[in-house]
This record gives sequence, C-alpha cells and structure tokens, in this order.
Amino acid sequence: MSTEALLTSSIGSFPKPEYLTKARTAFQQGKIGEPELKAVEERATRETIAMQEELGMDILVDGEMYRGDMATYFAENTDGFAISGLVRSYGNRYYRKPILTGPVRFRGPITVDWWKWAQSLTSKPMKAIITGPYTMMDWSFDEHYASRREACLDLARALHEEVRALAAAGAKYIQIDEPALSVRVDELDTAIDAMAIVTEGIRATTLTHICYGTFEQIYPRMLDLAVDEFDLAMANTGFALVDHFARHPFTKVLGLGVFDVHSHKLETVDQMRAGIEKTLQYIPPERIRVVPDCGLKTRTWDEAKAKCANMVQAAKQAREKLAGAGVR
Amino acid sequence: MIASALGSYPRIGEGAEAQQLRRSIQKFQAGGMTREALTGVENEVTAEAIAEQEAAGLDWLTDGLVRWEDGQTYFTDRLDGFQRGQLIRYFDTNTYYRQPVAVGSVRWKAPISVEDWKFAQGLTKKTVRPVITGPYTLSRLSENAHYGDFESFAADVAAALHEEVRALEAAGAKRIQIDEPALVQDPSDEPLAKRLLARTLAGTRAEIWVALTMGSPAKLIDRALEWAVAGLWLDCVSDGAVVERLASRPAAGAVKLGLGIVNARNTRLESADALRETLTRVADRQGLERVVATTSAGLEFLPRDRAQQKLARLSEAAHTLGAGARS
Repeated sequence: MSTEALLTSSIGSFPKPEYLTKARTAFQQGKIGEPELKAVEERATRETIAMQEELGMDILVDGEMYRGDMATYFAENTDGFAISGLVRSYGNRYYRKPILTGPVRFRGPITVDWWKWAQSLTSKPMKAIITGPYTMMDWSFDEHYASRREACLDLARALHEEVRALAAAGAKYIQIDEPALSVRVDELDTAIDAMAIVTEGIRATTLTHICYGTFEQIYPRMLDLAVDEFDLAMANTGFALVDHFARHPFTKVLGLGVFDVHSHKLETVDQMRAGIEKTLQYIPPERIRVVPDCGLKTRTWDEAKAKCANMVQAAKQAREKLAGAGVR
Repeated sequence: MIASALGSYPRIGEGAEAQQLRRSIQKFQAGGMTREALTGVENEVTAEAIAEQEAAGLDWLTDGLVRWEDGQTYFTDRLDGFQRGQLIRYFDTNTYYRQPVAVGSVRWKAPISVEDWKFAQGLTKKTVRPVITGPYTLSRLSENAHYGDFESFAADVAAALHEEVRALEAAGAKRIQIDEPALVQDPSDEPLAKRLLARTLAGTRAEIWVALTMGSPAKLIDRALEWAVAGLWLDCVSDGAVVERLASRPAAGAVKLGLGIVNARNTRLESADALRETLTRVADRQGLERVVATTSAGLEFLPRDRAQQKLARLSEAAHTLGAGARS
C-alpha cells in the first residue's frame, strides 16, 4: 500500500482558546495593541500545531487563530472592500460582512508570513488556506460591480497573486475554500472560470473545500474546477454523496469528511471507519485523505481534539485492514 | 400607496445597547438567565423593531420575527412529530438552520405565534401582520423520516398550520402572511403547493398574503394570481422579469401585488426616485390601489442601520404615489 494512502488532515479552523477570545475582545476595545494580540495568536497557533502532531495527523493547518470570519479576513486585506455592520450567520452568531465598494485589487501578501512561520514550527507539511473568489463574491454585499461574474473574476485575479506568493514561499498544499459553491448551479461556470484564474501555472497541490449544499446538483460538473483535490462534507449526510460516485466516477483526490463539525456528539472510530470503507469501494486509498466535514471553530477544544483523535484512529485501522488484505 | 415590511427585522445593531438580545441568548444558553428574563428582552427588541418600522414610515408592520431562531424551527419545535436534525444552509444564503426531521405524525398542539403577535399588535395602532411559514416550504425544508411519501407528510403539516391560522384569527388577526419561498425554487410544484395552501386556509376569513421570495417568482406569478388569497408578496429584485411582466399587461383577477423592489440582500441603497419609477410603471398598468411597496425579502440579511435607511426610502417612494387605505 502506498505511504500516501488515507493521509489525515483538517479543513482549516480550530477552536479559539478562551485566552485568545478574551485578547481579541480586549484588542477591539483598545485595551491591548497589535503586538500583544499577535503574541497570543502565536501561542494559540503553536498549541494547535502541537495538538495535531500529538494526534499523529499527516498534513497540518495553522488553525486560523488570527482570522475572524473567513471572507471578512481577506476583504480587510484587499483593496476594493469596506466592512459592514453586524449581520446574522445562524442561531445567535453574527459577523461583519464584506462590502464591495470599488475594483478589487491585490494589496500585498495576506497569509504568506503566517504560513511561513507556521511551517517553521513543524517538519510535516503545513497547508496554506485562502477563501476562494466565488465565495468571497457570494458572501459580500456588492455596491460596485455590474454583475456577480465580473466581481468574481476580479477577485480571482487578486487571489491568484496570493496563491502565487504562497507557492513561491514553498507551500506544497494550497487550499482555496469555496463553501458557497454548492448552492447556485447556474453560476458553476463562473466559479470554474474563476478557479482556473486562481490556480493557473501553480505547481503546488491545489485543493478546494465545499460544504453544506446540494452536491447532487453540481456533481460531476464540479470536477472541472481547476484543483487537484476536493475536501467535502460527507459525514453530515451519512456519506450519501458516495452513492453519486457509483454513477459518475470521482476523478480527483477526495478529502473525505468523516465527522460532523456542528454536533457535540463524538462519532466513534467504527462510524468513521465505516465511512472510509464505503468510499473505498469507489476511490483507491492513495486518492483519499481523511478530514473533518468542515472547519472546527464552532467546537470546544476538547471536542475537536477527541473527534480528530478518533479520525486518526479510523484512518489507521482502515490502512491496517487494507495492508492485511494485501492492497498495494 | 402603502409601504409594508416583509417579515424579519435585524435583531441586533451596533453598540452594546443594540446587542442585548445576542448577549441575553448567550446567557440563557449558558444557564445564567431564566426563560422569563429572556422573554422580557425579546419583548424589548420587538418594541424596538416596531418603533423603527414606524419611524421609517411604514404603514403595515410585522413584529420583526425577533423571536424566531429561523423560519422552520420556530414552528416545528412547537408541533408534535418533529425533532431537530443537521445544520443546513437556507437557500442560497450564508445563513444556516437546524433542519427539522419528522419522526412521527405531525400534529398541532397549541398556539405557536399567537401570544407573540398579540404582544406586538398591542404596541401600535398600525396593523401588525403575523407571519407563518407555509405548508409547502415547511415540509420541503424539513426531512421526512416518518411518512411514506412527501404529499402525506405535507398534508399533515398543512393541517397543523390550519389550526395555527384559526388560532390567530380567533385572537383577532385580520391580515396574515404565509411564506412560501421554497416554491420559488421549484415552480413545477405549484399545483401541490396550491392544494396545501387550500388545506391550511380552509374556512379562513382573514386577509391572506403569500410571500414568494428568495428568488424570482417570474414563472409562478400568473398561476399564483389565481389563488384564493388577498395578495402576493413578490421578490422583484432577483429577476427584472417580474416587474416587466406586471408593467406590460394587466394581471388577471383582483389579487393585490406586493412589490419587493428594495433589495433586502444587498447594502447598495436604492434611490427613492428609482423606486418611485418602478412603482409607477406597475401601478399605471395594474392600478394604484392594487399595488403595495415592500422589500424583496425579510431584512435580517442586512445590518440594522442600512435596513432602516432602506425602509425610509421605500416609504418615501410609496407615499408620494397617492394615498392608500393605510390600515
């Protein structure tokens, strides 16, 4: 069996520890400055990386301790955006949404320094993660562009510069998140055109993450997105998407979401392994990575750790079973 | 011309004072606040929503739906037969809700929205319209893990909501809104949705307005104009075809037209002149008395200050187009 089989990773965010949440509030209230906040963010990042190493995960993430909302963070660091007042996300959660107020332009590297620093803390590969152009467009108010496509393609050109900078810095895995993609099938062509701009000429392994939508409407057409790997929320629908692979082969690398990130309930190793084994009927092990359904920021630290620990065990057991069965 | 709200109102704003509902829900969920105390805060925020709609000049109001976690669980949590399931996306938005799962026979137990509506109506002389998620949408956005087929599930949902409509009527509601956004996504289901609505509305005397939002209702308008309802709330922003249809030829029947011409999902502020022009084009063809001005969807997708500004523009445009019966 290939050493690349069933590698474990995660989608991006980890829960922010309470000391970081307090520091962010203190920063917003002007009680501490940027250097103090950054020191706290670095402490939380170190702990997140150490936790992933302790659990034996294969491809690591920095946990996004320095980011708030995934679209707003990039909007704050890109020309052409303002930031709105608070709007509701779900339940009792609110966030500040980007507003497109002028032409989008790359201002300079956004995540490169953080990625370089995080990679320096571990010998394992560290994923670089950005929010994709379609999601940035869809999750922003637009007071400037004449069409959604025009906004999306301008965002793609700006984000291409970020991806180039990450690849030049040495990132081997670059993830371009597109959680909004699974919603509007009529705009899939725009998203495909935009992704082609973002990843054009990039030599790193490129990934995208899509979640919480109607995959059946965009699959298999979504495979035309110019990335090498798709990380998909699968567990929250009981791995129902796997059945689509029977009808239309999944031709790329699959990041298989094996646990629900919005549930306090801890999935068992057996449940996660069953999801992996179901998927192995259609995709060979070296083209499957084992991941959570989505980012982990809404879980507690202990919940995230316990779920990831079971995930690593499930992948290990599935690998051992394959080795025992003589899969090469 | 009448200017109306269309459901939700942003429940928090900028600054600590405007965020008491968020903080109170957090406290309640952590066990640090009683249900009664949280209801008190919800009452205060409802009063703010009413006051801000009045200040913007609206004629017809809602309670802002500030007590709704979402359009589904507000009802299904209080009906027999449902549990909460996975977190899923609400149409093409970046908002999410816990999907209701029907695990048993769906039955109405007791009034769900009546006390909330009575409280809100008691705050103002203007008409506050209760809002119900319609039988087609409530069924479509839920998972059916109990019934043999969708139609029998939806029929029980329609029967349960019928009891709610009757309870609202009995409490004095004269005008009731039924939200059917899911039908906009799948207009081919119109015959089924119409049957379900008929079941929910059987024997009602209240003035019923059905909202067709969260996408373009262009393919539905002509069939919906034949429904036995008083009015339709139409998202006119997602697709220019809706206004073009209504400005080009008279609509059959007497169903009133609630034109959702202010974009409730984007911060770009419309000018009162542009809104007035659109209203005039439709009113010239359909008659001034037949048209009501509103937003394209509920306002919870906007920051509160921008929602206020948009409502003020809406009122300004509508009120310069002649007086309607503003009750």
